[in-house]
Amino acid sequence: MIVQTAFAANAQEKALSIRDLTKDYPGVRAVDAVSFDIDRNTVHCLVGENGAGKSTIVKMLTGALAPTSGSMAILGRTYEPDSTQDARESGVGTLFQELHVVDQLTVLENLTLGMEASRFGFLVKSDLEGRVVKTLAAIEPTIDPKARVSSLSVAQKQIVEIARAASSGASIIIMDEPTAALSEREVERLFGVIRRLRDSDVTVIYISHKLDEIFELGDNVTVMRDGKHIATKPLADVNGRPELIEMMVGRAITHDYEPRGDIADNPVLTVKGLTNHLLKDVSFHVKGGEIVGFYGLVGAGKTEVARAIYGADKADGQIDFKGRKRAASPKEAIAAGIALVPEERRTQGLFTELAIRRNIPIMNIRKLASFGVFQDEREKEVAREYVGKLGIATNSIEKYAEKLSGGNQQKVVLSKCLFADADMLLLDEPTRGVDVGAKSEIYDLIRDLANNGRAICIFSSELEEVLGICDRVFLMYDGRIQAEIKNGTEVDIPHILNVVTGGGGENK
Amino acid sequence: MTDLTQSPQFGDRLKRFLKDYYIYLVLILVVVVLSTANLDKFPLFERGNFLSERNIINILRVSAPILTLAGAFTLLMISGYIDLSVGSAMSLSAVVYALLAINGVPFVPAFLATVLVGVLLGAINGFLVIRLKITPVIATLITLSLYKGIALLLVEDGVSAIKSGGGLKMPGWFNDYGRDGVFFGLPWAFWVAILVTIAMIVAQDRMKLGKYAAATGGNPMAAKLSGIDTARTVIILYVLVGICAALAGIARSSFMSLGDPLSGDGMELTAILVVLLGGTAFSGGEGRVLKSFIGALIIMSLTVGMLTLVPAYFQTLVVGTALLLAAASNHLVSRKDSES
Amino acid sequence: MTDQAVAGRRLAKQDNRLSDEMFITSLVAGAAVALFLLASILVPNFFQFQNVVNLVTNNWAVISLGVGVTFLLVSGNFDLSVGGIVALSGVLAVWFAQATDGANALSSGWGMPTWLAMVCALIGAMSIGAVNAAFVVALRVPSIIVTLGTMMLARGIAQVVTQGSQRNTNLPADFGTLGNMTMFGTSIKLPVVLMATLIFVAVFVERKTVFGRLTYLIGANPVASRLSGVDNARHVVKLYLFSAVMAGVVGILLASEFKSGFSNRGTLMEFDALVISLLGGVAIAGGFGSVIGMFFGAIILATVTSAATGLVLSPDWQFTLKAIAVFIAIMAQTWALARRHAG
Repeated sequence: MIVQTAFAANAQEKALSIRDLTKDYPGVRAVDAVSFDIDRNTVHCLVGENGAGKSTIVKMLTGALAPTSGSMAILGRTYEPDSTQDARESGVGTLFQELHVVDQLTVLENLTLGMEASRFGFLVKSDLEGRVVKTLAAIEPTIDPKARVSSLSVAQKQIVEIARAASSGASIIIMDEPTAALSEREVERLFGVIRRLRDSDVTVIYISHKLDEIFELGDNVTVMRDGKHIATKPLADVNGRPELIEMMVGRAITHDYEPRGDIADNPVLTVKGLTNHLLKDVSFHVKGGEIVGFYGLVGAGKTEVARAIYGADKADGQIDFKGRKRAASPKEAIAAGIALVPEERRTQGLFTELAIRRNIPIMNIRKLASFGVFQDEREKEVAREYVGKLGIATNSIEKYAEKLSGGNQQKVVLSKCLFADADMLLLDEPTRGVDVGAKSEIYDLIRDLANNGRAICIFSSELEEVLGICDRVFLMYDGRIQAEIKNGTEVDIPHILNVVTGGGGENK
Repeated sequence: MTDLTQSPQFGDRLKRFLKDYYIYLVLILVVVVLSTANLDKFPLFERGNFLSERNIINILRVSAPILTLAGAFTLLMISGYIDLSVGSAMSLSAVVYALLAINGVPFVPAFLATVLVGVLLGAINGFLVIRLKITPVIATLITLSLYKGIALLLVEDGVSAIKSGGGLKMPGWFNDYGRDGVFFGLPWAFWVAILVTIAMIVAQDRMKLGKYAAATGGNPMAAKLSGIDTARTVIILYVLVGICAALAGIARSSFMSLGDPLSGDGMELTAILVVLLGGTAFSGGEGRVLKSFIGALIIMSLTVGMLTLVPAYFQTLVVGTALLLAAASNHLVSRKDSES
Repeated sequence: MTDQAVAGRRLAKQDNRLSDEMFITSLVAGAAVALFLLASILVPNFFQFQNVVNLVTNNWAVISLGVGVTFLLVSGNFDLSVGGIVALSGVLAVWFAQATDGANALSSGWGMPTWLAMVCALIGAMSIGAVNAAFVVALRVPSIIVTLGTMMLARGIAQVVTQGSQRNTNLPADFGTLGNMTMFGTSIKLPVVLMATLIFVAVFVERKTVFGRLTYLIGANPVASRLSGVDNARHVVKLYLFSAVMAGVVGILLASEFKSGFSNRGTLMEFDALVISLLGGVAIAGGFGSVIGMFFGAIILATVTSAATGLVLSPDWQFTLKAIAVFIAIMAQTWALARRHAG
């Protein structure tokens, strides 16, 4: 057509152009009319706080989610993937957090998986092997194509997956936090791979919380905030970390923290030198009646701290709770008076196919029994009591936990912990997927519990949450506590973001 | 951090070597022990000579069914699925084959028809597991009962098996397939087992099927994302196991000269045993057809050889113990792998 | 009416409905009754009170085994070793009780008093349960493979002890007492009464005790149950020991009834125990099912097989009928639950 717009002509030059992309969830607009372009053969970084909408965009790009409205185009051609496989066929490969390589096969077998040349089911020689080996050698010559994948490190497996995407003709490869499980040397190696990819006609979309990586690797950057597109510009034009952080934050974070009265200096939990596969020398203490926050981005090690204290994961180091030694299992932790609200509510916290009343007493089930016999009537009383106390919106205590909203489900999980008479609550992402109303109710509840002398640890990737409710906040990055801040005073948000994105902090 | 340029330690190399070759060492050990043991208590063997020609032929002849079955069963377990109905499928095939033979159907059509029955039985398993989404264990327990039930129904009331009598007579050729030596004194049944095993080795190493089986069992999500039709792969594997069960049934039936509806009882256990012994992981993904074949040789040498050392009633105990030990060692090996 | 009000009313209605478990159990019970009535119409003389009694009394052994198997299935684990344990404990009890002065190996034993022989046999049964538990819990080998192995292990030991046949001579006079004792002046034997008691106790444990509750939790969501402070491993160990002891008692009672320890006794009983659990609506994935359902599952199986023989089908039909029954049961339950949740 004659009326080819300037935009369309322009779009043909672009590896990917996104126009007015919007994704609505019930009650939330996760991505709001986002438009930007990605140049060919660049490393394009996507940054933003948790909840800025990055992962929703990634899901739409990989075909895992369908946009509510808006469009995407690859080299000017409309791109509407309906599955990850479909996206692959359109030339968009993805490096997922969960690796999709087959450990039991060799590197070469993995690289050709699903693309084999065959006659009557027999594998036949073709130029495919030569081609994929060349691709692999071009991006990482040290991996032996004949090696079994099970003998490779996580970093090498990632590279195999990248090579597979590249050799299956992907023109765009999306990498979502690819360095989360890598050592420094491995990160360097991965960066080398990414640069060589870029030089061999592949566009990389790189998502990371680690801003240093962005500056080291990226050509262009797109900043997202609250589901909106803030800016897309060459990293060369960005004036260092401060400018990037400023774009990510953009506004003062509103929080209604009210300093609580002085808390007696009686540490109930003392942790020294906690170390495991992810944690590095984590030490801190928590006082009775105190609300302590752990803030960090995905993969910083928050959940691991919670699980180690709770005895759910192994770790070295000392944990002392009220003079008792560390718990070897959740059972022991509960007996000592520690309760955990786990990260994944539906799979770790709740029994979704059981009624509300059956869920509530689980952590302290023997309390409702005399001589091993369960007191059904008392269970109902307890359930009614907690449903009333926590304002769980339901018309019956017999309703399956499955059928409750996220906020009410979380209140059921909290009821479990309260019924366990815990002196210390570990709350891992306590308000994830919870609507605003239920959120503030949960915060009120947490404050009440602390005022009654309970020690509370909140592990959260929402800055507003920890600043809204915690007395002290530990900033985590890369398995370490990087800094501790006291809430209530002037909180320096750019400083916080700088620390949790790897900008270093005053190590205690 | 692991460094790929680092050369493996001697200990690691030894471990690797043991992992790759232990099955052959075990076979040699078993043969040595049985060859040096005092075997004259049992008429099957000549005095003190396990490795006599007659004895080897005997063992290989009775081993034909499990040798036939081990390869396909390995591929199925590599794909992460299981078939508990193989014993019953084998019994049913044995009965069908004998029934056809005794009613005057010549060897080749009877043979082919029975193999077709095997295809059908395997396809039913595949259908229940893949299309109706019944858990493999339960689906194949159902068909275990079903196939065995049909086999029993095919045999007249009051008779224990299809055999000569009541006016019908087994044809003279019936025995030949399972007993008469054609090459090196070994019968067709054995050579078919060898052919099947070679075919399965080729399928594992040279065909898409083997690779897709490993991918399906090793990382189903990755397999699907790579565009592999895992459902089709699994159905094909069930059909292959069905065919091999039918071949095993023919071998057993011919060897025993009758169509016994109970002749395959317990075969699923032997199959699981030899496959686990051969190092196939029950979690899927890993395993070698050839090693299962060797595993079958070991078990058959042991069970037959054992008859000379201890009474027959020790057999169940030994097989049960071996199954538990194989499962345990299999587990320990795979755990070490994932930890390192 | 507003949408919300409608939604609210629908939720309220859902709440008043039976739980899924009660729904399936009633379905199974209904199917059992319907099958019995159908058999009564089709088979002459089937509709008799004595027949109803027989359906239960002839199956006391399998129903008793079904209790342990059901508990384990609900916790997400198989137990296929129970048939082997029945043989083992019976053989051991006889062997231990046989006098030491028998004419040959199969007629001389350990000369223990009957009660001691039975206790020791029970310990033998329990040790098989311990092996199950060790392999499943400590080594994390899939329970189906472990219990297939111990099924052969237990039966294998029984075969060695009986030299592949049976021991039935040289027994103390009181050895046959337990298995043949009739109760309450009727012809009902002690094992049947014990089975009935076991069912009542099991239903009570399942519905009313912490132990029963934990069994469901572990099967429904092992991750959440561990994080909620449940010691999954320890509970599964207890369940395997319990199942083995039940199988041991059944084996001893059968040995007492027949005054013999027969190494092939209980063959396929593990399979029947699994079949009746599945017929009774126990889910293989764990977290769902009930002892009452299993009991009605046994009635269904008994009706089908006994009516079939009444219908002049040969006993050879039993395997085919079992297969068809389990298939229909599984499909019907999947279908019923899916419809219920969609509705």
